[in-house]
Amino acid sequence: MSQGQIGAELRLVTPGMAIGPLSGKRVGSGALAQNEEIIATRLGWVRELNDTVSVDPINSTYMPRSGDLIIAIVAEVRNNLWFMNVNGPFQGLLPMSLAPWKVEFGAARQHMGIGDVVMARVQEVDECHNVVLTMKGVGLRRLNEGSILSVPVNHVDRIRGNNNETLHRLREICDCRIMVGDNGRVWIDGNAEGTSWARSAIELASKSGHKLSFEAELSALENDAPKRGDA
Amino acid sequence: MGGYGDVKLLREDGLRLDGRKIDEMRPIEIEAGTLPGADGSAWVKHGLNVAVAAVYGPMEAHPRKIQRQDRCVIDVRYNMAPFSTSDRIRPGYNRRSREISKVTAEALESVVICERYPRSKIRVEIEILSAEAGTRCVGITAAAVALADAGIPMRDLLVGVASGKVEDTVVLDLDKAEDNYGQADLPVGILPNTGEIAFLQMDGDLSPDEFNLAMEYNFKAAAEIHDIMVDALKRRYEGGEN
Amino acid sequence: MVALVPTLLRQELARLAENDARIDGRGRWEARDITLETDCLYNGEGSAKVVWGDTIIYAGVKFEMRTPWPDRPNQGSLMCSAELRPIAGRKYEPGPPSPESIELGRVVDRGIRESGCIDMEKLCIVPGEKVWGVMIDIHVLSDQGNMFDACALAAIAALRTAIVPAERFDVGEDYTLKVKSTPIMASFTRVGGRYVFDPSAEEELGGDERIHITLGDEGHLHSLQKGLKGVFTPDEFAEIFDVAQSRCVELRKLVANQEGN
Repeated sequence: MSQGQIGAELRLVTPGMAIGPLSGKRVGSGALAQNEEIIATRLGWVRELNDTVSVDPINSTYMPRSGDLIIAIVAEVRNNLWFMNVNGPFQGLLPMSLAPWKVEFGAARQHMGIGDVVMARVQEVDECHNVVLTMKGVGLRRLNEGSILSVPVNHVDRIRGNNNETLHRLREICDCRIMVGDNGRVWIDGNAEGTSWARSAIELASKSGHKLSFEAELSALENDAPKRGDA
Repeated sequence: MGGYGDVKLLREDGLRLDGRKIDEMRPIEIEAGTLPGADGSAWVKHGLNVAVAAVYGPMEAHPRKIQRQDRCVIDVRYNMAPFSTSDRIRPGYNRRSREISKVTAEALESVVICERYPRSKIRVEIEILSAEAGTRCVGITAAAVALADAGIPMRDLLVGVASGKVEDTVVLDLDKAEDNYGQADLPVGILPNTGEIAFLQMDGDLSPDEFNLAMEYNFKAAAEIHDIMVDALKRRYEGGEN
Repeated sequence: MVALVPTLLRQELARLAENDARIDGRGRWEARDITLETDCLYNGEGSAKVVWGDTIIYAGVKFEMRTPWPDRPNQGSLMCSAELRPIAGRKYEPGPPSPESIELGRVVDRGIRESGCIDMEKLCIVPGEKVWGVMIDIHVLSDQGNMFDACALAAIAALRTAIVPAERFDVGEDYTLKVKSTPIMASFTRVGGRYVFDPSAEEELGGDERIHITLGDEGHLHSLQKGLKGVFTPDEFAEIFDVAQSRCVELRKLVANQEGN
């Protein structure tokens, strides 16, 4: 998340707070320039990378971007398309032509109904936040088993870790299938003990994902993990 | 403002009935993130006032006719709980709370970077659980902390604060008796970092000089309250990122 | 706003039920942590705050002086109502009181009223002229599951610690309101096909019908309510009725502890 400033002092800023003089730096997200000063606009951690100053927000609503891998829930079905809840302000639209099956007009309902959960990718987002989804692609499918958890969108990177290291470790420990959507939804599937442990690990990330103590707390939880092969 | 001249509100020693100096605030406590189900929330105790604010959103603005293609709308509801005052308040439609909700929403729209969320709505719910004069200001402060907690981008943290006049003397932060029997009340919403004003109401009688002094008190108090707001947000997220 | 129920949630709840397990690891009849605080609102003549899991409820008691109803000249009155304002959760919308908030207020009201814990004749000041009207207002700040039980607990705790403001109305000295018993509500929701006590928000989302049981000090029934879509059998009711007896005894102790302070 904030690679490049490890060891540097972490600074929590609130909206309106001056971060420092502009002096030729670029202003990134979560900040604005005012009278030669950089002002924070969101509650979060200051990040300076390649002369760009921005604020990593602690909380935010999921705003879809094209290319995002997300876990969506069918909210409405029409003859030739589905409206999906993507955990953001607006529903996403999945047209029949971007479904993984060959769908006849009027037969959308036979493939997916309200409440069904899918892995999808954001195909396109326009400036008015209209979202088009696709299910054509590797790993994109309807999820027929397992459970869904929610985490703050800003902690998604913490659960994945650098190069998905943390995610691989979690999968290894509890012997579960785990997928993390960019929209703050996590899918877990495995036996009862494994799922229950994975659930507590994800809940820990939700509560403490932004804290320095997260790694240590996760390691402590690891000691309570069910032994592989016991189940 | 009642303006009843026969009620003594200042003591012989120049202090106020509750022992405060004329430019002294009632004690303030703030906590951020008190409602687990909300996107952002805050609890503010200011004197005997208690306000709780919750933020939900941004979400799609419904009905369609309230949508703005280029920005979000802020939907504020200020409400006093039936048990918040000494005489019970009947729940339901109320002209006073409608007006306060409207001007509070407009004040918040002036600080939130609304352009970021076209066609959306941000719901701000302010509930007054205990009232002792100055609830609209406490509500504004609570709403600002809740918005920051929800991660909504804003130009500044809006602070609600009031000054007034009792016995021909300008005083900061009126309490119940001073509000009932005083001569003027000047509640404002201040952007402490830029020094701008986003919320302004006044009733009573103030001379131009008295107005300037009251505003001076308000700005001084806003800086103090701002520090407490920032501290509340920092406490909520202490531990830091790595 | 109609909440969207993921099919995976219903599947998971059913699978957990087969193993007699719950999503948060609790036992079938186990409650979340509950804290009760009374006398917490400056302007309430009686007040209580209940934090039940992540559900947060305030209740306040106010008194008003009024003329008695002509047919009951020596009786005061009691009214309990609930406001389910949009602060309580994402799914709650602004507008006139919803059927849900009216049901909530009325179910709590019936439990307290029918238990006879308030002697309406004791609320009479001058027969035919002046009586006390007692009003309990329940304010839901956060609905994260089982708000009925939390509301009922807040209401009775606020009532049992209320002070009659006689001085303010010029009719003698303030005194503690006499409340003869402590009616308590215990509610059960069908989750994954079987009933559980104290459902969380997630269990309510993926669950079915619920049953609210209010019991008095002697374990007598004072109010019942079945809500939401679904049916149950007499055997199922017998089972939860037994559990309700013991849960109500425990919850009543929470209220008694507050009065000791």
